[in-house]
Amino acid sequence: MGASMVGFSEMCRQNGLSIGLSHTKEGVKTAQLGFIRDPQSFYFGLKSLFCKDFEEEVIFDQCFKVYWKMRKHKYAHKIQQQGKSNIAKSTKASLVMTGVRDKNKKEEGPLEGAKSVSGISHIEKLKQTDFSKIKAVDLGPLENLIEKLLKQLNTRLKHRLIRAKSGKIDIRKSIRKNISSRDEIINLSYRKRKIQKTKLIVLLDVSGSMDKYSFFLLKFVWSLKSHLNNIEAFIFSTHLIRITDLLKENELTESMMQMSERATNWSGGTKIGECLVSFNDQFAKRVLNGRSVTIILSDGLDDGDPKVMFDEVHKIKLRTRKLVWLNPLKGMKGYKPLAKGMAAALPAVDDFLSAHNLDSLMELEKILSHA
Amino acid sequence: MIPEVKELIHRFDQLDYVVEEELATVLFLMLKLKKPLLLEGPPGVGKTEAANIIAHYQGHELIRLQCYEGLDVSTSVYEWNYQKQLLHIKLNENEKISVQEQEKFIFSDEFLLKRPLLKAITSDKPTVLLLDEIDRADEEFEAFLLELLSDFQISIPELGTIKAKHKPVVILTSNRTRDLSDALKRRCLYYWVDFPTFEKELAILEKRVGGEGEILQQLVKFIEYLRGQNLQKTPGIAETIDWARALITLNTVSLTPELIDSTLGCILKSQKDIIEIKHSLNDILEDISA
Repeated sequence: MGASMVGFSEMCRQNGLSIGLSHTKEGVKTAQLGFIRDPQSFYFGLKSLFCKDFEEEVIFDQCFKVYWKMRKHKYAHKIQQQGKSNIAKSTKASLVMTGVRDKNKKEEGPLEGAKSVSGISHIEKLKQTDFSKIKAVDLGPLENLIEKLLKQLNTRLKHRLIRAKSGKIDIRKSIRKNISSRDEIINLSYRKRKIQKTKLIVLLDVSGSMDKYSFFLLKFVWSLKSHLNNIEAFIFSTHLIRITDLLKENELTESMMQMSERATNWSGGTKIGECLVSFNDQFAKRVLNGRSVTIILSDGLDDGDPKVMFDEVHKIKLRTRKLVWLNPLKGMKGYKPLAKGMAAALPAVDDFLSAHNLDSLMELEKILSHA
Repeated sequence: MIPEVKELIHRFDQLDYVVEEELATVLFLMLKLKKPLLLEGPPGVGKTEAANIIAHYQGHELIRLQCYEGLDVSTSVYEWNYQKQLLHIKLNENEKISVQEQEKFIFSDEFLLKRPLLKAITSDKPTVLLLDEIDRADEEFEAFLLELLSDFQISIPELGTIKAKHKPVVILTSNRTRDLSDALKRRCLYYWVDFPTFEKELAILEKRVGGEGEILQQLVKFIEYLRGQNLQKTPGIAETIDWARALITLNTVSLTPELIDSTLGCILKSQKDIIEIKHSLNDILEDISA
């Protein structure tokens, strides 16, 4: 039994489940508890031991099918005989373990394994696919993936931004509070570290040249909003529109609809420089401060005067702690920020990153967490 | 199904709890292997209820710790009763007690405020420990739990390591608002609790609410339909039970659009969902009866 379980653990491990020695041991114990008598119970039991995630179920199912079901009869037979046949089984199991499978399994095993592996690599591939090249078929899985990754990102960010909780006794305050009870200290005061939250300002370009990306980036912004409460968002193409209030909607589609109502210039031309002027005039003083991180999501293809662009970007730079420019075009091979507007803005930018696929968006986490 | 599991299902049935084979198997395994169990799933599918029923089944006390962001050691494990310590020092000021003795005394059991985790470990009787919505707690707290879950012991600097007198049955629940760490998951059995099947939900209603079979069937079908829609908040079992109770109180024999309209608040908890469903009530009822 032990050897069989080792073989099974090994197989699961190879297929990406994280299984340790203790799991194998407990697997054996499970079998000994009588679970081995019934294949269904055995399956349920092992599943609860080996699967650590809802999504891992598929992988486990396949492994289980390949490893146990195929020799169910032989197995049941062996249980009755016990002891005696252990040697035969263990050799078989160790064969599986070392990867040398007998003829029947040779076809089945690797094939099943390959299936599950390809599932994982597909996800990896999606993460690296340029948003503009995503096929309609992949949209569903991609949305799920985005949701999942952003959730992870936000949890991590939240925990880094919101820290300091254990209260310490504040001696000074305690004494002051207890003066009335002479020198007896009865009511204690506690103190906590004051949290200084980072403020996030996002400027999203929704002009025609960004069409392919704006949806995904907007989704990204929206998701940030739903998890970090200190964020200001704007969209711009020919003029600037504040959308912070619209992001408060619970539904993304709802937000999008209201946004397109407000934004008459969606998919229009680009006047980044002028939009930044109105940002600096109307909002900069209010929303920018020493704790803020400003993110501009744009391809930098500007129709306006590069001089204006240069001035305005520098103005923002002076008011904010960190200025990040995310440019989807940067993901392209051989891209150089030669466009006049982009080149003008670049000297003031602290971080210049690509934002063409999920992996690159996740990079942002590092910047935000160090901010 | 092995006989032990069958027996367990039967016992749960007597306690008015409907449990499917897989969950029963996992619960049985949890009791036998003495391993914590992590239940994950959408809200309102009976995760917490499972812990209640295990406590009931075993006749043990249920100790519950509701997790939240910012939960720390002083609210979950222990805290020194500072006020009492201070008063004690004050009272003993005039007596000649050495500092060491004094210190030893004020850091003794008497001045220790036991919070749920420590209570579960030091209890004289075996207990069931429920860590509810663990996904809401911080990662630091999760890391702290590791020691507890694998060795069933807690270290208190002033007192040393406290080992469990009886290993508590530990059940963790999570709504999956974030992913839990692998280290924590490794130490637990895992079970994904999904929305119940038609048969199971009907059985639950018959146990909990009683009443006419006909109306219950219609009601469960309606709920099942709602779960298939893209709602902001999908109704769970608790909502179904509430609704069934409401309808039974109103002496309902059959589901009518007007009736649903006036009681929809029992199952849908979002204005947008309610409006959406109200608009298409007639179509939905037709769909269901077809």
